[in-house]
Amino acid sequence: MSQRKIVLGVILRAVENLSDELEDGAKISVDEDTKLFGTDAVLDSLSLVSVIVDVETAISEKFNTPIALTDDRAMSREVSPFANVTALADYIVELLAEAGL
Amino acid sequence: MSHPIVLEGEFVNLRPLAAEDAALTFAWRQSARARLLNLGATSVEQQAKWIASRPPSEYNYIIELKNGRPVGTLSLVAVSEANRHAESGRFLIGDEEAVKGVPAAVDAMRLLYQFAFDHLQLTRIYGTVARENRLMIKWQKYLGMKEEGCLRQHYLIDGRFQDAICLGLLVSEYRRISLPKMNALIAAARVPTAKA
Repeated sequence: MSQRKIVLGVILRAVENLSDELEDGAKISVDEDTKLFGTDAVLDSLSLVSVIVDVETAISEKFNTPIALTDDRAMSREVSPFANVTALADYIVELLAEAGL
Repeated sequence: MSHPIVLEGEFVNLRPLAAEDAALTFAWRQSARARLLNLGATSVEQQAKWIASRPPSEYNYIIELKNGRPVGTLSLVAVSEANRHAESGRFLIGDEEAVKGVPAAVDAMRLLYQFAFDHLQLTRIYGTVARENRLMIKWQKYLGMKEEGCLRQHYLIDGRFQDAICLGLLVSEYRRISLPKMNALIAAARVPTAKA
């Protein structure tokens, strides 16, 4: 499986974990185009943090390298890493590449 | 203690809770997300009485979007000038639809921390969260709070006792951990998304 597919799987699993915690009426379903945060997005900031924590933890475990999704670099990007699932996957793949993975 | 009228943030303001908010806040307390909070008032009238009886040492706020739409509550209570600490609590996003994609909770908490640490010059904020309120515990820990202990069977929720997880944040941790992460999350909502 490609690195990108693994990363996508991690993100989608994190949203599933979040959805499991929510009440029935608040369940979330996502695909690669789903807007995560910002205008017309599906997550509030409580939910976004849950996804971030699970993604950071799972990526660190799978690739044996820590990543930080809320640092100065993430803030300064033209396209927010949390704009949608694809943008988040792209950002993580970029971080892993810089870590030599 | 001087009590600022409104704390102004980037996406939300915190304005003092008023008796006129009784019906709205009572309705929020009946929501699914409020199920894991302390037992609240059982009627709008009781809620209004509770609001009217808040002592001046408490800072109870309504979280409002910048367009004036109220979306939740947040408080700073048990302020001790002698020990320079206080408890944060009564944190509830009541209008969940209105805050999708908006860092309302983060901006509100940033305002409260700025008020506590910068204006009141406190050195520590603490609070308790029911053990089954996993999203809130995860959120608070990610934004810098440390787990400091557990009060066993502290809450009676839905007829069942639950432990209270004790969380705390020192001013140094706020500046080093909380503030940068809060700033990043708020910036994530500010940055324009990719053009189609």
